[in-house]
Amino acid sequence: MQKLLSNILTVLLLSTFSSLLFAQTETQDQCITCHKELDDELLLPAKKYVTDVHYSKHIPCSGCHGGDSKSDDMDIAMSKENGFIGVPDRSVRYEVCIKCHANKEAMKIYGSNLPVNQFENLKNSVHFQPTYNNVGPIADCVTCHSVHDIKQVDNPKSTVYPTKIVSLCGSCHSNANFMKNYNPALPVDQVVKYKTSIHGKMNLKGDPNVAECASCHGSHDIFAVKDSRSHVYKTNIPEVCSRCHSDSKLMSKYNLPSDQYSSYVKSVHGVALLEKGDLSSPSCNDCHGNHGAIPPGVESISKVCGNCHVLNMELFEQSPHKKAFDENDFPECETCHDNHDVVHPTDAMVGIQESSVCMNCHSNDDKGYIVAKNIKVLLDSLTTEDTETKKILDEATQKGMDVSDAEFSLKDVRQILIQSRTSIHAFNMNKFKEAITPGFKIIGKSKKAGVDAIDDYYFRREGLSIATLIVTILVIGLYFKIRKMEKKKNQKT
Amino acid sequence: MKNSNKKTIKERTYSWLDERFNLSGLIEFAKKKSVPKYRETIWYYFGGVALLLFIVQVITGILLLMYYQGTENSAYESVKFISTKVSFGWLIRSVHSWSANLMILSAFIHMFSVYFLKAFRKPRELTWYTGFGLLVMAMAFGFSGYLLPWNELAFFATKVGTDIAGQLPLIGKPILELLRGGEDVTGATLSRFFGFHVAVFPGIFTILLALHLIFIQRQGIAEPEDWKDLPDNEKKYIPFFPNFTMRELLIWLIVINVLAILAVFFPWELGTKADPFASAPVGIKPEWYFMFMFQSLKFLPAEILFLTGEFVGIAAFGIAGILWFLVPFWDRRTPKGKRNTIINYIGIFAVIFIIVLTILGFILD
Repeated sequence: MQKLLSNILTVLLLSTFSSLLFAQTETQDQCITCHKELDDELLLPAKKYVTDVHYSKHIPCSGCHGGDSKSDDMDIAMSKENGFIGVPDRSVRYEVCIKCHANKEAMKIYGSNLPVNQFENLKNSVHFQPTYNNVGPIADCVTCHSVHDIKQVDNPKSTVYPTKIVSLCGSCHSNANFMKNYNPALPVDQVVKYKTSIHGKMNLKGDPNVAECASCHGSHDIFAVKDSRSHVYKTNIPEVCSRCHSDSKLMSKYNLPSDQYSSYVKSVHGVALLEKGDLSSPSCNDCHGNHGAIPPGVESISKVCGNCHVLNMELFEQSPHKKAFDENDFPECETCHDNHDVVHPTDAMVGIQESSVCMNCHSNDDKGYIVAKNIKVLLDSLTTEDTETKKILDEATQKGMDVSDAEFSLKDVRQILIQSRTSIHAFNMNKFKEAITPGFKIIGKSKKAGVDAIDDYYFRREGLSIATLIVTILVIGLYFKIRKMEKKKNQKT
Repeated sequence: MKNSNKKTIKERTYSWLDERFNLSGLIEFAKKKSVPKYRETIWYYFGGVALLLFIVQVITGILLLMYYQGTENSAYESVKFISTKVSFGWLIRSVHSWSANLMILSAFIHMFSVYFLKAFRKPRELTWYTGFGLLVMAMAFGFSGYLLPWNELAFFATKVGTDIAGQLPLIGKPILELLRGGEDVTGATLSRFFGFHVAVFPGIFTILLALHLIFIQRQGIAEPEDWKDLPDNEKKYIPFFPNFTMRELLIWLIVINVLAILAVFFPWELGTKADPFASAPVGIKPEWYFMFMFQSLKFLPAEILFLTGEFVGIAAFGIAGILWFLVPFWDRRTPKGKRNTIINYIGIFAVIFIIVLTILGFILD
């Protein structure tokens, strides 16, 4: 019963609220009638508003400006008593929009299923911060959606339609004079770069499906890139890109695969970034660029990877592989390591066994085969020696011997192994030997320290046994000497 | 021919020394010395054991001093160096640590045996006083030496130990600052403890030990209380030289063996370096010979009447220590040849109290 009454009351309230707005549009909007007779800036709003989505929803001028749109008497129509506010103040004009756009019931009346959280999102965003001269928020609803000729987002005439939004954002973000008021360090070349990207090129051709500013940065809830709430915060980027690039239907239109994201999340980079939260690990944009996103060219892959893997890049570029790969159009790093699904490299990748990537190109009798074989032998040898030495040192430690210096030195072997694995990228036996040899020297010293410590352990016990034996013999001897001496004395007594 | 030459050299050496140092007099003195032989004679050896261990402490301490560096930045490293790099350094350090503990244990046993045998009675009051002083000094050696490796446990144990001293009214703070060389345990405390351990305490200890031994030599070994009524022919003695000395030597050899086994099989750990900014590890405990006092203070309530529990505890131990020290003074019955069973009850109570509280200190958190 109570619920029924509540429903009736809601219906009544809604019908009253809508009748207030509809009632005005049932008759001719007198504001427009009058303003059409006026000149220039007073005429323009009236001319534009008839094309506005709000006009099509029968919202009169008074919906935003207040007053009485039905009255043809200017004094009545624009009287303060009737709530006329004129041009809403810059600092609070968003309040006019959120009267409806933050009100679910009001939006329902106009048959709109638009979300009503835009203002909530905007309020927390970087754009809603006050301007440097404190005239209101940096950007509010009107800044992007314009006024009097607002269109639905999917209307190509809308200022925020995908093909238009780039120039809209660029109107501020490409304006160095404007941007330096807020963030002088922020680049202003995003639009220029965007136009060089595949996304930008397609967008310029009028394709609304490719990524534009809002696709990645969001629309109302835009935050600084370093803010973890941002859509383009490093750990959020793979998911943002995947919204389109994992959509097989969409990607098939462009003849692109859609498995990059699923490959990336399993890769060493994806695991480091998304699971371990390692922000130094690359996200999509680190290799492909962000505003100028484009797949790296075959010959520039080592440069792209080399942004992080500097040594590997330098060594590769001096290696005999560089020329051979370029001549055969092999995509440099990707040839051995793959691209999106880069896995943690293991020693099994080199050598002459089946798992080795070297064997993809080299065969039994060529020079590369021998180099690969020797590299693997040395690498395995140092790894095995390292493990064995660690076992020896552990045994010494378990026996209570201090081998901390040797253990500390042994850590350098792990570093040398990393350096040696890096030096593989020179594909030069001499360079590899130069890198790995110090490791064998350290192993030799550490192993000796461990063995000596274990020997010392047994020496201590053997020494103790001998010393104890000698002392015990002395004790026994002394005991008998005392007994003999006292027996003799007793006999005398 | 060879033997007769050897004897001649021996004889000639003896007469050379005798002529200058009157060795015959010393030998005569030693021959006359004797030790009562009865069922409690075993306790007479513990003073000698403590002396042996003190000698071991001096020798190993001097060897450690050759490498030890008593500063905040190098103390831990130098002890580590001794334990790992110096030939037999590990053994010297381990023997020094074990010997210190065994010395204090021997000194305790020696003190209680003297107490229960009432050997402190007239005319040996001063021997008792110097002996008590030696025990206190041995504990002070232990307390100061514990900090020297500058490891985590020692650092916090010293902090707790000196904190307790700081609880005393009026003199607490000056004592605390005197010990620590400031308000906190720092490198200054380490330098100070090092100075106490290797210069101040050995000086005092040597004087007390010399007095203690001189008194024993002058007065001879105490006879049992009930021997005064025995006829001379029923009193049995062991000649001090060579019989008692050889028996003592036999025990010394056994102690050396035990010490070597402990040092090799249970080498003294170094732990991690002290970090004054780290939080105290769980279960900080003092050395075992301070445990009964530490545990007693823990059992006391925070406040007793209008005084803090710790103050009451420290005052109680202070008074008990003074009374124990002054036992020859207030025990009026024993010198008169009467049995003083209260002395025995107090002694038994003290032994049980120390053993129980020490065990509780180790098994309770």
